[in-house]
Amino acid sequence: MVNVRFVRSQIACSKRQSYLFVLCVILSMVTLVSLGSFSRSVQKSLLRDARALHAGDIIVRSHEALPPTLTSQLELLTRQKTIESARFYEFYSVVRSASGNASLLANLKVVEPGYPFYGTVELASKRPFAALLTPGAAIVEQGVLDRLHLTLGDTLLVGSARLTIRDVVLAEPDRPVNFFALGPRIFIAAAGLASLELLGKGSRVEYVALVKVRQEKRLAETVAKLRAASPNDAVQINTYRNADSRVKRFFDNLLFFLDLIGIFTLLLAGIGIQSTLSALLLEQQETIAIIKALGSKSRFIIGHYLALALVLGVAGTVIGLALSLALQDFLPILFRGLIPARVELTVSAGAIVEGAVTGLVTVLIFTALPLSRLRSIRPALIFGKAEPDAPQRRSTMAIAAGGAIFFAALILLKIREPATAGYFMLGVALLVLVTFLGATLLLKRLMKWRAQDLLLRQAIRGLFRPRNATRAIMVTLTAALAVIFAIRLVEMNLDASFVRSFPSDAPNLFFIDIQPGQKAEFKRTLGKEASYYPIVRGSVVAVNGSAIDREMERQKRGDNLAREFNLTYRDGLLPDERILKGERLFRADWSEPQVSVLDTVLKMEPMRLGDRITFRIQGLPITARIASIRTRTEAPLQPYFYFVFQQKELADAPQTFFCALRVDKKEIAGLQNRMVARFPNLSVIDLTETASVFGRIMAKLSMIVRFFTSFSIAAGVLIIVSSTFATRYARIQEAVYFTILGGRRRFILAVFGVESLILGAASALFALIIAQSASFFLCWKVFALSYRPFAGESLLLVVETTLLVLGAGVGAALPILFQRPAPFLRALGDE
Amino acid sequence: MPILEARNVSKSYSIDGRPITVLDDVCLTVAAGEFLVVRGASGSGKSTLLTILSGLDRPDLGRIVMEGKDITELSEDDLAPLRNKSFGFVFQAFHLVPSLSVLENVMFPAELYGDRHAEAKAQALLDRVGLSQRASSLPHQLSGGEKQRCAICRALINEPRLVFADEPTGNLDSANGDAVLKLLLELRRERRTTLLLVTHSVEIASLADRVVTLRDGRIAGNI
Ligand SMILES: Nc1ncnc2c1ncn2[C@@H]1O[C@H](COP(=O)(O)OP(=O)(O)OP(=O)(O)O)[C@@H](O)[C@H]1O
Ligand SMILES: [Mg+2]
Repeated sequence: MVNVRFVRSQIACSKRQSYLFVLCVILSMVTLVSLGSFSRSVQKSLLRDARALHAGDIIVRSHEALPPTLTSQLELLTRQKTIESARFYEFYSVVRSASGNASLLANLKVVEPGYPFYGTVELASKRPFAALLTPGAAIVEQGVLDRLHLTLGDTLLVGSARLTIRDVVLAEPDRPVNFFALGPRIFIAAAGLASLELLGKGSRVEYVALVKVRQEKRLAETVAKLRAASPNDAVQINTYRNADSRVKRFFDNLLFFLDLIGIFTLLLAGIGIQSTLSALLLEQQETIAIIKALGSKSRFIIGHYLALALVLGVAGTVIGLALSLALQDFLPILFRGLIPARVELTVSAGAIVEGAVTGLVTVLIFTALPLSRLRSIRPALIFGKAEPDAPQRRSTMAIAAGGAIFFAALILLKIREPATAGYFMLGVALLVLVTFLGATLLLKRLMKWRAQDLLLRQAIRGLFRPRNATRAIMVTLTAALAVIFAIRLVEMNLDASFVRSFPSDAPNLFFIDIQPGQKAEFKRTLGKEASYYPIVRGSVVAVNGSAIDREMERQKRGDNLAREFNLTYRDGLLPDERILKGERLFRADWSEPQVSVLDTVLKMEPMRLGDRITFRIQGLPITARIASIRTRTEAPLQPYFYFVFQQKELADAPQTFFCALRVDKKEIAGLQNRMVARFPNLSVIDLTETASVFGRIMAKLSMIVRFFTSFSIAAGVLIIVSSTFATRYARIQEAVYFTILGGRRRFILAVFGVESLILGAASALFALIIAQSASFFLCWKVFALSYRPFAGESLLLVVETTLLVLGAGVGAALPILFQRPAPFLRALGDE
Repeated sequence: MPILEARNVSKSYSIDGRPITVLDDVCLTVAAGEFLVVRGASGSGKSTLLTILSGLDRPDLGRIVMEGKDITELSEDDLAPLRNKSFGFVFQAFHLVPSLSVLENVMFPAELYGDRHAEAKAQALLDRVGLSQRASSLPHQLSGGEKQRCAICRALINEPRLVFADEPTGNLDSANGDAVLKLLLELRRERRTTLLLVTHSVEIASLADRVVTLRDGRIAGNI
C-alpha cells in the first residue's frame, strides 16, 4: 500500500523541484497536443480525401500536348463506358481589363465539362460551377477583381478573347491552398481555348487529363492500359493514391519539421523531468537513508517515489490538457493565412489521447533512471560518510536503451521514415557522446588547475562540490542548448534565404514565353536594356545510360531529376557563375554534344565530368557529355540554369525567350500593360509583388516554427533552473559559511557568479560549436542552402543563456545575503 | 573596558503565530581574555545567546557592544571584517565547507583577509593538532574529531580576540571530546584569546573563569 501522507509530505518538502517537474510535463503535453491537433486538422481537412485532392481517380499530366495514341485510348475507354474523362490546361498568362489600363499575371485553368470528378469548386454565389462555366465566361478569384478594379459582369481580356466575369471562386478541390501561385486563379471553359490563342510552342502549359473509373476494381487495369498507350515517359500517369501533390508535399514537409521539433521538445522536457526528479531525490537523500536504516526495502521506497512521480505526472498532464484546450482559440490565429479559413483547427480527442499516452510514457521513461538509483543509496549516508555508489551500469544501459527504443518508435510513428529515425537516433547519441566527452575533458582540466586568486579558485571548487552533479548538468545543459541553438540557426538561415531583402540591382521584372519571331519587335517595344535567355523545355531521361526512376525521384524531399527543366544555350559564363570543375564551359576536343551542369544538380544525383546525360526535348532524345561543372556566387534572384548547352545543339529546337530587367517600381505597371497589350501571349512576373507575397508566407511559417520552438526553449530554461535549484542547498550552505568566516556580500556573489559563469559560458559555447556544425550540415545537405553562421546572433544566444544560468545560480544565494546567517545555520545544523 | 557586552537583550520566535520568548532581558559582560562557560538545560537559549552575541543574529530588543562600539545594527558587510578577524567560531555540527580540503578550509579566513602566509600558518596549525597528514582530505572523509580539530584551526588562524564555541564536543564521544577541548583550551591560553563556550560538561565548567547559567531565558546563576 502506498502511504499517501508520506508522498504528500515529500512533495511539500521539495516544492520547487515538484513545480518544475509538473511544468516539464505540462510543456510536453502542450507540445504534443497542439502539434498533434494541427497535424490532424490539416490531414483531415486538406489531405485526407486524396481523390478530392486530385479531383479524379487517375491523373494524366504532361508538359507537352498529350500524344494522339493516349487521347484515342482515353476516347475508346470513354466510349466503352469504363471511364469518364475531362481535360484541363493550366498555365500563367497576363490578363487585362477591357479598358486596357490594368493587367495582371493570372493562373489560368481551362477546364472541360466534368471537372472536378471529386470535390466541388465553391463559388461565392453558391451556384453550381458546371452551369456557370460556359464558353465566353470566366470565373475568377477575388484577387483578379481587386487588382484590375473590376466587378462581376465586367469584361476581361485573356489572350485574344473577351470573357465575361460570371462569379468568384472561393475554393477548388485540387488546390486547397493557393500560396504557391504567382497569380490569382481564372477558370475558363475549354471549349473557348482555341480562341484564346495562347498555347504557343514551347510555352509552359500543363496538360492534364482527369479520369474517373466507374468501377474501382478496374483502376489498375485502366492505368496499365493508359501507360501502354503513351509512347514516352514525358507523360505521368498516376492514381490518386500515388500521385504527387505539391500541397501535400508542402504540408508533409512542414509537419515533418514541426514533428521533429516536437520530438526534440519532448526529449528536452524528458531530460527536464529526469533532472528535476534527480534533484528532488537528492534533496531527499537523507530521508531515504534514514528510512532505509529503519529497515525499509528498496521496493517500498521506489514504489513511493514512483507514486510521487505519477501524482505529479498526472497533475501535469491534466493541466497540460487544459492549457491545450485553451490554446485551441489561439492556433487559428497562428495559422491564419496558411490554411484556408474554412479549415477548423480543433483540439481533437485523438490528439489528446495520443498526447496523454505519449506524455505518460515519457514521464515513466525519464523517471526510471533516477528512481533506479534509489537502490544504491546506503543508509551510511546519514553519518555523512558514504557517497552513493555509482549507479548500476546495467540498469542504466537498459533504461537508456528503453528510452532510445521509445523515441525511435515515436519517430517511426510520426515520420514514417526509418532512415530519418535512424539519423535522429544517431544524432542524439552523437550529441550526448560529444557533450559527455567535452564536459569530462573540460572538468578534468579545471580540476587540475589551481588558480592563484582565492575567488577564482573558490568558484572552480564550487563545480566539484561533493554530490554536485556538475558533469551531468553540463551534459544536459549543453545538449539542450545545442538543439535549441541549432533550430534557431537553421530557422535564421531558412529565413535569410527566402525572406532576404530584395537586392537593389537584381532584375525585378521577367517576361516569359517570348516567341522567337517576337524577339526583335519585343526589344524595340521595350526600348530598355535587358538580358535575354533562350529557353528550351526538356527533361532528363537517363544518366550514363541508366534510366531515371521517376517514381523514386519524386519521393525525394528536395528538388529532383524527374521534373521538367529549363535548358538554355550560350557559349560563356554569366557574371555570377564560376567553373568548379573542368577547364572552361565547353571543350574544343569533343565532337559529341556537351552540357555544363550546375553544382546543385550533383546533390540530386552524383555525376562527374565526362558522364553522359540523356535529355528529351520535345520528344527527341539528345545525349550530352558533361564538359564542366559550374557554381554560382549566389547573387540572389538572378536567373540561373541547371543545364547549359552549346548554341549549335539547341539553336534549332523549339524555344522561347526569357527577358529579365530592372525597372523602377512605379514604372512596372505601365510597362507591363504596354507590353502585354502588344504581345498578349507573354507572361510577366513582377518579382516585387511575388517576393512580398512569398515573404509574407515565409514570415508566417517562421512564426509558426518559432512558436513551437519556444516550447523547446522553455524546456531548456526549466532544465537550467532545475539544475541550479539542485545545487541550491549546497550553495546556501557555502554562502552561510563564507558569511560566518567574514566574506563580504560582494565576495559571495562573485564566487557564485564566476561559478555559474564558467558553467553557463562553457555549456553555451560548447553548445554553439555543436549547433553551428549541425546546422551547417543541415543547411548544406538537407536544405541545400548556402550557410550563414550569424556570428552576432550566435554570440547573443550564448550571452543570453549565460546570463540566464548566472541569474539562476546567483539567485539561489540571494536570500541569505541580506539576513543574519543564524537561522540558516540552525537549518544546516540539522543535517 | 569589557570586550563584549549584551545590554538588555531579548529575543523571541513565533511558532504558529504564537511568540515564545527565548531570551528575556539578558545582560552579560565578557572581559578580555576571559574563559566564560554558558550552561543551561536544552532549549534554554544558549545557542541563541551565542549567535546574538557574535552578530550572527539580531536581538529583538537590546544592544550588543564590542569594545565600546555598538554592533547591533551593523550591516552584514560591516560585520564581515569583524567576523573574519576578531571572531572565531566552532560549532557542534562543524560546518566545514564541503568543497574545500582540510588545508583550504583552515586557510580560507586568512586568504580572505589577504594574508600571504595563509598556507604556512594553516600548515603550522594543522601540525599542531596532528592533522597535517590529512591536509588534502575533504571534510566528508574525516571523522568527527578530526573535523572538529580542523574547525578549531580555522577558528584560530586569524588570531581572533574572541572565540565562540557552541558545544564543540556535542557530536563527539567523550575521549575525543576531551582531546578536542583540551586542544582548544591550550591554544586559547597560548594566544590569550577570550573564549565563550557553551557546554553541558561540569568538568569543563570547573576550568572556566566564570560560568553563567540560563534558565527560562534569563541568566540564573552567575558564578
Ligand atoms: N528559528 C526558530 N524558530 C522557532 N523557535 C526557535 C528557533 N530557534 C530556536 N528556537 C527555540 O528557541 C529555544 C532556544 O533554542 P536554543 O537553540 O538557543 O537552545 P539551546 O539552549 O542551545 O539548546 P541545546 O542545549 O539543546 O542546544 C528552543 O526552545 C527552540 O525551540
Ligand atoms: Mg544549542
